[in-house]
Amino acid sequence: MANSFLFPCAVVLLSLSIILPLIFVKIKKPIFRKISLLSIILACVVLITLSAGVFINETANFNIFILGMNFSLLIDNLAAFFIFIISLVGLCVAIYSFSYTEHFDNCIKRNMLISIMSFFILSMIFVVISHNLVSFLFFWELMSISSFLLIMFDYEKEGTKKAGIFYFAMTQLSTLFLIISFVIIYNHTGTLDFSKISELSPILTSLLFILLTIGFCTKAGIIPFHKWLPYAHPASPSSISALMSGLMIKIAIYGLIRFIFLFSFQELWWGILILVLGTISALLGVIYALKEHNLKRLLAYHSIENIGIIFIGIGLYMIFSYYNLPNIALVALFAGLFHTLNHALFKSLLFLTSGSVVNSTHTKNIEEMGGLVKKMPYTAILFLIGAISISALPPFNGFVSELMIFQIFFKSNAISSPIINLILLISMSLFALTSALAAACFVKAFGIVFLAAPRSKEAKEAKEADLSMLIGPAILAILCIILGIFSYQIFSFIGNKAGIIFDLPNLLWISLAGIVILIITVLIVKIISNKNSRVGETWGCGINKQNSRMEYTASGFSEPIVTIFSTIFQTKKVNKKEYYDSDKVIFKEGHAKISLIKFFEEYLYLPELKLINKISEKLYKIQNEIELDPYILYIFLTILILLIIIGVVIK
Amino acid sequence: MIDFFLYAALNIILVIALAPLYISVIKKVKAYYQGRKGPRLFQTYYNLFKLFSKERVYSTNSSFIMRVSPYVNIICSILAILFIPLLFIPNNTLGFENIILFLYILAIGKFFISLSGLDAASTFGGMGSSREMSISSIVEPVVIMIFAAFVFVFKSFNFFDIFRQTSLNLDHISLWLLLIPLVIVLLTEVARIPIDNPETHLELTMIHEAMILEQSGSDLALIEMSSAIKQLLWIGIIINIFIPFGFDLLLSISGLFIGFVSFFIKSILIAIGIGVIESYLTKYRLFRLPNLFAIAFFLALITIMMEVLL
Repeated sequence: MANSFLFPCAVVLLSLSIILPLIFVKIKKPIFRKISLLSIILACVVLITLSAGVFINETANFNIFILGMNFSLLIDNLAAFFIFIISLVGLCVAIYSFSYTEHFDNCIKRNMLISIMSFFILSMIFVVISHNLVSFLFFWELMSISSFLLIMFDYEKEGTKKAGIFYFAMTQLSTLFLIISFVIIYNHTGTLDFSKISELSPILTSLLFILLTIGFCTKAGIIPFHKWLPYAHPASPSSISALMSGLMIKIAIYGLIRFIFLFSFQELWWGILILVLGTISALLGVIYALKEHNLKRLLAYHSIENIGIIFIGIGLYMIFSYYNLPNIALVALFAGLFHTLNHALFKSLLFLTSGSVVNSTHTKNIEEMGGLVKKMPYTAILFLIGAISISALPPFNGFVSELMIFQIFFKSNAISSPIINLILLISMSLFALTSALAAACFVKAFGIVFLAAPRSKEAKEAKEADLSMLIGPAILAILCIILGIFSYQIFSFIGNKAGIIFDLPNLLWISLAGIVILIITVLIVKIISNKNSRVGETWGCGINKQNSRMEYTASGFSEPIVTIFSTIFQTKKVNKKEYYDSDKVIFKEGHAKISLIKFFEEYLYLPELKLINKISEKLYKIQNEIELDPYILYIFLTILILLIIIGVVIK
Repeated sequence: MIDFFLYAALNIILVIALAPLYISVIKKVKAYYQGRKGPRLFQTYYNLFKLFSKERVYSTNSSFIMRVSPYVNIICSILAILFIPLLFIPNNTLGFENIILFLYILAIGKFFISLSGLDAASTFGGMGSSREMSISSIVEPVVIMIFAAFVFVFKSFNFFDIFRQTSLNLDHISLWLLLIPLVIVLLTEVARIPIDNPETHLELTMIHEAMILEQSGSDLALIEMSSAIKQLLWIGIIINIFIPFGFDLLLSISGLFIGFVSFFIKSILIAIGIGVIESYLTKYRLFRLPNLFAIAFFLALITIMMEVLL
């Protein structure tokens, strides 16, 4: 009963926060922005209670008819879980936005940012609760368009346009695949309802699975469909990056899980496909991140990595449920979902704190930062918590989900097929490599951004972020710690309800033991050691005064790993020479260039682009470069061919 | 509950008391091979004592990370001690059993020490932490594969379970293949030749030492202590898997004494072995290390596949 009241209440609040800044778009005073941010916060709180209610009680069902279309909405446990994630992150981003939005110079921009942001949140919530094909697609498109507008927010900046167009093309590609698969479903079941999908034939279901996987992978940023992420995130405002990386790419995960649930059966290769895609994305994502020096692009590559980890969880779920091991499979699914929640928390935390850093240093290049821990101590600690969580170090939340995935890999001896075992083992070792490289990458990110001496004037003059820009991330940081330390308690509660054994270590005990050991160690060291300490210069190898150019750089830091994985970072050498004579003796001019091969762009995206360009050039000739008479002939011939085809089909 | 606390206290005291000794033993063996007399066996203890009584010097650039990380490191090492039973195996473990958790607890220490390497803005420190993180990440698949082999053979990811099984049943022939990868991991984790050279202070060769170059006084002592502890723990894993006899399973005074003596003899023998390996090998070039790890990785993978197929 409460749900039917709470949900419209949240929708009204969110709509208010969309409309209010739009009406008063030219008002410079922040009062209306504050009201609408407050109503976003309220709506998020309402939604959190709503999802908690759904977990405990029953599902909620709505049917809305617009223009004769039935927008069937259903909040079940899966939807409630994603609503929970969305509203949790939305809440913190809204708090963060109180001062973050005021840093933009233009009051129209400030108002628009809040308005579109809450529209974006609202559309994501509606995607999650959609329960037929039309409403799913409709809200999916609303989500894509609003996120496109948000990426284009800094439209006057260089690079934003490219990012926006890239994103738009990719997101429409994703929608295209969804539309194709939805048309197939509608054609074969005759209904827009989700429930009939299970009646499709095996071949058709496999086809649908491929189409849907491509569609959702494009949105989720799985390699090789990932290229929009590293463009879109640096271009958009940090609060939006937090929403997109923390939430929007998770909606694709939601879609994938939702449709996998709807299929009545599974093939083995589906799970393997998802697992392989996940492993490749996780590994390549983190390796690309190591090479990256743009703070926000680095985080974007880590989103690719973490989406890969979530895919590994889902893939394991599919493989184990194919082998009829539902207990292990369900743990894998929970691991994937838990990592979805964790990634939403720590990635939003990292994006928000990096937004504070970018705001006060006015650069995204980490080579120009450094020493910020003394200027922005609270932001530094919050970023450190995020970094530890994403590096999967105990007792934080990232560790728990990765531990669960490792344990499921270890349980692969339950499957008695050597080839599957081998695939799982290789995937496991690559996964281990991924999580270790992530730790290396965040030592780099935290160390270069916050530690050592400032590397530029801006970094030297950086100031601590405003209060609201600390409170928002602080909530996320506290959640990261709580979800880690109390993971055993949380999962034994869930396990009791669902009848699964998670077999997690009790991190609460371990943290307590750590604290006890800390106290004893500090006491012993206090007693036996010399208490004097002094501050002195770092040894500069004989140079009198050490300066910031002597410290280690981000490129230097990642150099060994880049060298080890040099096959991935291949360079292209272009060497062009021109000569005055035909014997190539007298040199005229020439140029040489060494550049990093952007593998996916140059070998996957560009060839297709060239192909399309070629085809359209030919078509262009047909349309524009010929006389009218042949043109009429073409039309005539087309009609004739169409008629013949129709005739044959009808007969 | 009570036997766990007894176990915890005994294990921690034993490891902390013995750990520095093995560093001296290795040095002594190396000195013997070089025809020198070498330092006294208690020299490492004197060194630690000396460091504790010295004042600490912090760089002007450094932050709280520099001051906190030695403590984080030592706590992680001490927590890790609880995972590796050396004298007897308690019945109740209070969650200190998961093999992945053991690895990642050690990883926290590494994470913070690497950060402290960057903290002082010195070139050496940054170089050290860069190399340390690179090596520890590429060795990670090997470690996981070794642990997966344990899980496949013993059907458990609980250290205590695994060690209980090895001490009851000694014939896991396929596991002997794991000895080579485990020794490689041991040498990597404790930063010894051929992976790292703890003796020199040349920028070409050092990894771990470069990272802690700016640490001083009691902080440095804590870091040295925790790497000594880590070394003993990895030795302990090798002992518990491959030569596990002498474990006290009934918890009696005489049993504990026998367990201590047998552990002491076995661990000293392994330390001598490390010294011999170091004397015969030279440090590998940094970028040749992946080959070494690849060998270890495949040996571990073959162990698992043998377990699956045979």
